[in-house]
Amino acid sequence: MRKMKSSLLVFLAILLGLVGCGSPAQPEGGGGTTTGADEVTINFMHLWPAGSSAQHNRIVESIISEYEENNPGVNINVDVLSNDQYKETMTVLASSRQLPDVGLTWAAGYMTPFIQGNMFTPLDDILEGGLGESFIPGTTEAFAANDTTYGLPLELNIAPIYYNKNIFAEYDLDVPETYEEFKNVVQTLQANGVIPITVGNREPWTGSMWYMYLADRFGGPETLTNAINRTGTFEDPALIQAAEEIQNLVDMNAFVRGFNGIGNEEAKGPFMNEQAAMYLMGTWELPNYTTNEDVPQEFRESIGFFKFPVVEGGAGDIDSFVGGPGVGLFVSENSQVKEQSKEFVRFFVERWGERAVTDAGVIPATRVETGELDLPDMYIEVLEELANASNITLYADVQMSAAVAQTHLDLIQSLYGGDITPEEFARRHEEALAAEQ
Amino acid sequence: MEKTHNPSNVSGKIGYALLYLVLGIIAVFQVYPLIWLVLFSLKSNREVFNASPFALPAEPRWENYVNAWTQGNIGLYFFNSVWITIVSVVLTVILASLVTFAITRMVWKLNKLVLGLFMIGLMIPVHSTLIPLFSFFLSINLIDNPLAIILTYTAFNLPLTIMILLGFYYTLPREVEEAAVIDGCSIHRIFFQITLPMTMPVISTTGIINMIYNWNEFVFINTFIRSDHYRTLTVGIQSFIGQYATDWGAIGATLVISILPILIAFFILSNKIVEGIAAGAVKG
Amino acid sequence: MNRVMSNKFIISLYILPALLLILVLIYIPIVLTGYYGLMKWDGIGDMTFIGLDNYIRLLSDNQFWRSSYHSLLLAIFSTVSLLGYLTISLILATKIKGANFLRKIYLIPMLLSSVAIAQLWLKIYHPTNGLLNSILIAIGVNNPPAWLADRNLVLIAIFIAIIWQYAGFYILIYYAALKNIPESIIEAARIDGATPVQIAYRIKLPLISGVFKVTIILAIIGSLKYFDLIWIMTGGGPAGASEVIASYMYKNAFTMYNFGYGSAVGFYLLLFCLLGTWLIRKLTSTKDEIQY
Repeated sequence: MRKMKSSLLVFLAILLGLVGCGSPAQPEGGGGTTTGADEVTINFMHLWPAGSSAQHNRIVESIISEYEENNPGVNINVDVLSNDQYKETMTVLASSRQLPDVGLTWAAGYMTPFIQGNMFTPLDDILEGGLGESFIPGTTEAFAANDTTYGLPLELNIAPIYYNKNIFAEYDLDVPETYEEFKNVVQTLQANGVIPITVGNREPWTGSMWYMYLADRFGGPETLTNAINRTGTFEDPALIQAAEEIQNLVDMNAFVRGFNGIGNEEAKGPFMNEQAAMYLMGTWELPNYTTNEDVPQEFRESIGFFKFPVVEGGAGDIDSFVGGPGVGLFVSENSQVKEQSKEFVRFFVERWGERAVTDAGVIPATRVETGELDLPDMYIEVLEELANASNITLYADVQMSAAVAQTHLDLIQSLYGGDITPEEFARRHEEALAAEQ
Repeated sequence: MEKTHNPSNVSGKIGYALLYLVLGIIAVFQVYPLIWLVLFSLKSNREVFNASPFALPAEPRWENYVNAWTQGNIGLYFFNSVWITIVSVVLTVILASLVTFAITRMVWKLNKLVLGLFMIGLMIPVHSTLIPLFSFFLSINLIDNPLAIILTYTAFNLPLTIMILLGFYYTLPREVEEAAVIDGCSIHRIFFQITLPMTMPVISTTGIINMIYNWNEFVFINTFIRSDHYRTLTVGIQSFIGQYATDWGAIGATLVISILPILIAFFILSNKIVEGIAAGAVKG
Repeated sequence: MNRVMSNKFIISLYILPALLLILVLIYIPIVLTGYYGLMKWDGIGDMTFIGLDNYIRLLSDNQFWRSSYHSLLLAIFSTVSLLGYLTISLILATKIKGANFLRKIYLIPMLLSSVAIAQLWLKIYHPTNGLLNSILIAIGVNNPPAWLADRNLVLIAIFIAIIWQYAGFYILIYYAALKNIPESIIEAARIDGATPVQIAYRIKLPLISGVFKVTIILAIIGSLKYFDLIWIMTGGGPAGASEVIASYMYKNAFTMYNFGYGSAVGFYLLLFCLLGTWLIRKLTSTKDEIQY
C-alpha cells in the first residue's frame, strides 16, 4: 500500500513536471532544418496517399529518391494526407506560420488568402531559363497574382463525357452532337431501365460541371466567367436557361437516383459496373479506362468519350471545355531552406512532366512529346482535343473565393434538388457575389 | 451465480415470449449491419452491385483482407493505437477518480466551482480548439510528440469521466468510509483500499468508454502528429478508405480490420471486468 | 471526521493535476475561441479586430438558425431515445435468460469509430444497392426513397444512425448503475411480493435517477456538439438540410476560410450548451439524492 502511494506521488509529480514545461521534442516540420555544413532537410507535404492515388504516389516517391541520389546531403521529408485532411492541415499549419517548405496548392480562389497572408514565395525565377515555355499557356497564370507566379501547376485536365460503348450499341445509340440528340439518348436509356448519367452531387462540384457546360453552350465561353468576376451577371438569360436545363434533365430522370446523397466516388460505382451509360468527369479518370490494371480490361475497352454537345442557336462551340490546372507546387515564404526548396521544385516539375504521362496516364501541365511514347489511344485523343480546345473554363468553384464557392455549391445542390427556381438560383448568386465586393 | 426467473403461468410465458421477440429484433437491428459488412467485405464488386445484398458471397474474396493488411505500416499503427489508448485511459481514470473523491467526500469551500470548471469542458466542440491547441503545443515544442495526444485525450475525457463517476459516488454508501475515518485510517488508504475497489464497476464502465473514444479518435491525432512513426490505426484506416472508393469489398475488409481488435478486447474485458467484480463491495 | 476530510494539502494533491490539465488544454482554447470571434481572420493571414461584428451578424444568419434548429431536434430526439435505452437496461438487469449475451450484442455499435459507422450507414442508405432499400423492395415497396438525398428524410436517416451508434454507450452506463444497487434491497422487495415491473419502477428508477439526470445532460450536450457522422455522411447537405451547429462552424472555419466567423459560431455553441445544461438542472432539480 505504502509503495503504491509513493509511486503515485512520483507519477503525479512527473505529470505536473511534464505539463509545466514541455519536454524537448524533435524540431517540428515547419521550416526545414540545416544541420551541419551541407546537410539539408526539405519538408514536403502532398495529397496522394499510396492507397487512393497509387500511381501519383509512386511517381512522387521515385522523383524524390532520384533527387536525393543526385544531391547527397539533401533529405526530403514527406508527409502524405488525403484530400480533406490536407486542406484542414494547411489551414492549421498556416495559422501558426508552419507550412511545409514545399507543398501543393489549388489555383485561383484557394490560393488568394495564402498569397495575401504572404505565405507563398514567388517562383518567377524558376520559370526563367526555358522552364516557363514548357508549360501549356494559361496554366501558370491560374497560379499567379499581380503578375507574380506563386505556384507551378502539375496537372491540366478537361472534362469530357465518358460513355459506355456497349450500352450505346445495345440500344442503337450514336454519340450525340447536339443537345437535342443528347436528350434523345437520355430518354432511350431511361425507357430501357439504364441509368443515363451518374453524378455524385453530394460533392456539388460534380454537378457544377454540368451546369457550367450548359452555361457555355447557351451563352458562350465568357458569360459565366464574367458573372463571377462581376463584369457580367448571373441573371444573364443564358445562365438562367442553363439552370432551367439542369432541372429539365432532373425531371427526365437523366441522373442516377439519389444523386444529392451520393459522393463522387460512390457515383462511379454504377458506371464502372455497367449500370450507368454516361459520366462527366475530369481527365484524371483516364487511367481507369486505359492503363489501370485493377479495372477489368473488357470494361476499359468499352469506354469512350465525347465532347459536350452544342445547343442549337447557342453561343458556345463544341471545342470549349470545362477544366483547368489541378494542383500546383508552392514554396513556403517562411522556409529556412528556400533556395534548396526551389531547386527541388524545378527538378520535380521537369521530371513530373515525363513521368505523369508514361507512369500514371494523367496529363501534366507541361507540353507532352507524344511521338516517342507508346500511349493508349484514348489518351492521345484527349491530348489532341486539348490541343484543339477553343477555350478552357476554370471550374466555377475554383474561380470564386472560398465563401462564395460554398454558396455556389449549396445552390447547385438546391437547383438539382428542385428546392429553388432558376431565377432564385441566379439571384442568390448575385447576392453572395455582391456581399464580397 | 445468475438467478433466472422461471415464469410458471401461461400469461407469463406469453409475456416473456413477446419480450424476447422485441429484444431479439433490437439485437438483430444492432448487429445485422455488422454481419452485412462482413458479408460484403468478402464479395466482388459485381456481386455487390448485381446480386441480392442478403446473398452469401459466391467465393469469399480473402484477398480483400490481404490487400488491406499489407498496406503501409498497419502493425506500427496498431501498436501506437494500443499504447496511446491504454496510457490515456489509465491516466484519465486515476485523475478523474481522485477529483471525484475530493469533490464528493472531502469538505472544502470551492468544490462546486471546481466541479463547474470540469463540467464546462464537456461543452467544447473539438474543432474550435484545433488552432489554439496547435499553437500551444507548438510553443512548448510538443507537436509530433505522443505526449501531446495523451494529455489532450486525458483533458478532454476528464469531464465526461468525472460526470459518470459522480453519479455513482453520490449513491455509494458512506458508512464504510466513515468507519475507516473513525478507525484512524489515512485518506490515501481510504481512497485506495475502500473507495476505489467499491467503484470498480463504474471505473470499468468509464474505462471502456474512454478506451473506445481514444481508439477511434481521429481529429487530434491527425493534427498534432506529423510523422508516420507515431500515427495510429484511425489515421491509417482513413487513408485506406479513399483508395478503394468504388470497391465495396475492400472498404468492407478495411473496416472489419479496424473493428475486430476492439471487438475482441471488449468481449474479453467486459466479462472479466464488469461481471467479475462483485458490485456490492459492501456486504451486510 | 471533517477535520480529516478537509485536509487542504490532500485536497490540492487530488484536484490539481486534473485541474491544471483542463485549465491549460480546455480553457485556453475556449478563451481564444471567443477572442478569435472578435476578429476578421481567414486563419492564414493577419487578424483584424472587428469587435462584436461576427456575433451580431450571426444573429441574422438564417443558415445558422436553421443549423441550430436541426441541432435542437437532434437533442430532443436523443433525449427521448434515452427512455428506450433505459427500458432495455432495466429488462436486462432483471437477469432474464440471455441478458448477458444480449447486452453485449447491443453494445457492439458503440465500439466502432465514427468513420466506420458513417461508411457503414452510407452503404445501408445507398439508393440502389443499399441494405435498407433492398429490404423495402423485397417487401414490395415501389420506388423507395433516396434517404440521404431527400431533404425531408435526411435528418431522420441520420438520427437513426446516431441512435444505433449510442445505444451501447447509454445501456452501458445504466447497466453499471443498476449493478450498483445493493442486491439486499431488491431481495427485500421481492420477498415482500413485488413484481419485477414494480421493483424496476418503484425501487430501481429512483435509485438511479441521479445517473439518469447525468445522461440527459450528456445527450443534450452531445447532440448540440454532434459533428462527425453528419459530416462524413452528408456534409450538411443536401443544400443545408442536415447542417448542424458544429458542421456549420467547421464549414465556416475550414472550408470557407472564415475563421473569425467560425469561432463565433463555436462560442455560441458553447453558450447553447451552458444554457441547455442550466435548463435541465432547473427542470430536474428534485430533493437531495437518495441515500440508502
